[in-house]
Amino acid sequence: MPRRSKGADAPIAVSGEAGSVRIAPEGAIDAESIGRVRETLERKLPSRLAGAVTLDLSKVTHLDASGVSVAVFLFRLAKGAGVGFEITGADKDRRLLIDLALRGQEPQEATKAPGFVREVGAASIAIRDGVVDLVRFIGEIALVCVHLVRYPQHLRVGDTIAAMARHGSDAIAVVGLLGFLIGAIIAFQTFDPMAKYGAKLQVADVVAVSVVRELGPLITAIILAGRSGSAFAAEIGTMKVTQELDALRTFGIDPVRFLVIPRLIATTIVTPMLAIWASILGVAGGYMILAPEGFTLAQYADEVRQAVTVGGFVQGLVKAAVFAILVASIGCLSGLRTGQGPGAVGLSTTRAVVAGIVAIILADSVLGVFFYTLGI
Amino acid sequence: MTASTAPAPQPTARETAISLRGVSIGYDRPIIEGIDLDILKGEILFIGGGSGCGKTTLLSCLTALRKPLAGSITIDGVDIVDSDDDAIRSVRRRFGVMYQLGALFGGKTLLENVRLPLEEFTDLPDDVMDDVARAKLGLVGLGAHALKQPSEISGGMQKRAAIARALALDPPIIFLDEPSAGLDPVTSADLDAMIEALNRMLGTTFVIISHELASIFAIGQRFAMLDGARKKLVALGAPAELRDHSDDEWVRRFLNRVPTQES
Repeated sequence: MPRRSKGADAPIAVSGEAGSVRIAPEGAIDAESIGRVRETLERKLPSRLAGAVTLDLSKVTHLDASGVSVAVFLFRLAKGAGVGFEITGADKDRRLLIDLALRGQEPQEATKAPGFVREVGAASIAIRDGVVDLVRFIGEIALVCVHLVRYPQHLRVGDTIAAMARHGSDAIAVVGLLGFLIGAIIAFQTFDPMAKYGAKLQVADVVAVSVVRELGPLITAIILAGRSGSAFAAEIGTMKVTQELDALRTFGIDPVRFLVIPRLIATTIVTPMLAIWASILGVAGGYMILAPEGFTLAQYADEVRQAVTVGGFVQGLVKAAVFAILVASIGCLSGLRTGQGPGAVGLSTTRAVVAGIVAIILADSVLGVFFYTLGI
Repeated sequence: MTASTAPAPQPTARETAISLRGVSIGYDRPIIEGIDLDILKGEILFIGGGSGCGKTTLLSCLTALRKPLAGSITIDGVDIVDSDDDAIRSVRRRFGVMYQLGALFGGKTLLENVRLPLEEFTDLPDDVMDDVARAKLGLVGLGAHALKQPSEISGGMQKRAAIARALALDPPIIFLDEPSAGLDPVTSADLDAMIEALNRMLGTTFVIISHELASIFAIGQRFAMLDGARKKLVALGAPAELRDHSDDEWVRRFLNRVPTQES
């Protein structure tokens, strides 16, 4: 196995005449000796090549595939200096191996590192392309939806129900747990400040409003992005890499109708339900903190009923549905835009989760202002 | 060894590189049973057989990635079925493997893929490692593609890059799983010439899983044929001898490429 041999120089005669260099190594040039041979060679070679380089192998007793790299090194060096390169004293097999190894070994041009302005420009264009791509994709989904309204029998009902089970009912436990804990944490953190104003029971209002309007849908959507958005990207991305999407297209089946719509419909239906579930458990979590303070369930429930308006409840549901559409669209789009190679699916999955969460927060801000403007 | 009556070459003077005794391979049930086979140092052995007959499973056993259901496999005197992990690790450094689909590391250039074993097992300076890796890529016709990613080249090129990676440490034994499949005839012939030259010059042992009759007859010194239906090794010998003189009809049909309806 190739190693750097410490110690004496390798026996290499380097002679020159009128600028040309003749290199005549002796003995073995193989995986064992290659390090020493190269070290010696680099020391003995003139700093600047002015004439043709000749590698004389007539005294080489053993040459293996690692040893052939000496020819590659000299060839590239000669090419770089614009001088000729020649091999002498090689039998048919050595000549074959060296000829094969030298094919295409031109000195590669170093790739120029892009400047800062160019990098910023490229990143900006990539972001713009991504947004345009998402808008175009949502348009594509809308067209398929119009088609499905006209031909509802084309909807893949079985796949949609399966997706609802996988991305809805399977998430009940984790969404419920987080909702409950969030409600409890809000009650716990606000209890003391509220108690200072003698408004202990109003902690119920804080919990109910924040959980129903904001945190229930938000937590549900973030779980959806991590759990389902990533799964959509990975599933569809793997299908892209293994050419299953091409197979669908050649059958005349639109991947958007076949793969995206069932997932999109499923998440749009189940996410508001999960958000309600998270809100209910969030309110229950709040009561867990207030109960030891002597408040009865009836008192707490009455306070919650007063705090949660129909408008606030609808606001939560609309947010959850919008988040679901964003997460499912971004997840599926990331899958469909997966590149080639084993790392591509991983990249798509990461992109789906990160872009999904960013989109959720952006949408939440916009919707918050929107509902405020409407006075809801 | 069973069934073949063809006078298989028995160069007993040559040492054995890999020895299989009573090896049965399979998953829940055996696919092939009782393989007795000596792979000789410095030979080019092709292993063939119909689809699903266990060729790649046998390769996994030979490379110590899975254990056979029964029997022993010895590489350079080390039993790889019963040895501990350290012994197997040291045996693995003595062979290189090219997998059916290349198995190149994504996210690394071809040069970095071939450099990886050199980085792990040698202390060569960076520029020497680069040149050694470039030489190996050149040998498989990829000298001009050293800085490309696996995803930027065709499947056939990925296979060739994987062969270059298998050659990285100049191991004495090289396993190739379907090296020619998917390659154009000229590239395939170049690959054969390279294998033959390395074998002749360096005495490298090549164990090649392949269906490519052109390669088998061009460079194969012996051919071992597995038959999934009979669950055994049905022939071992010089490819041309087996093609012309084997008393096993399936072996003759296979090597003469005779369709089923004509048999």
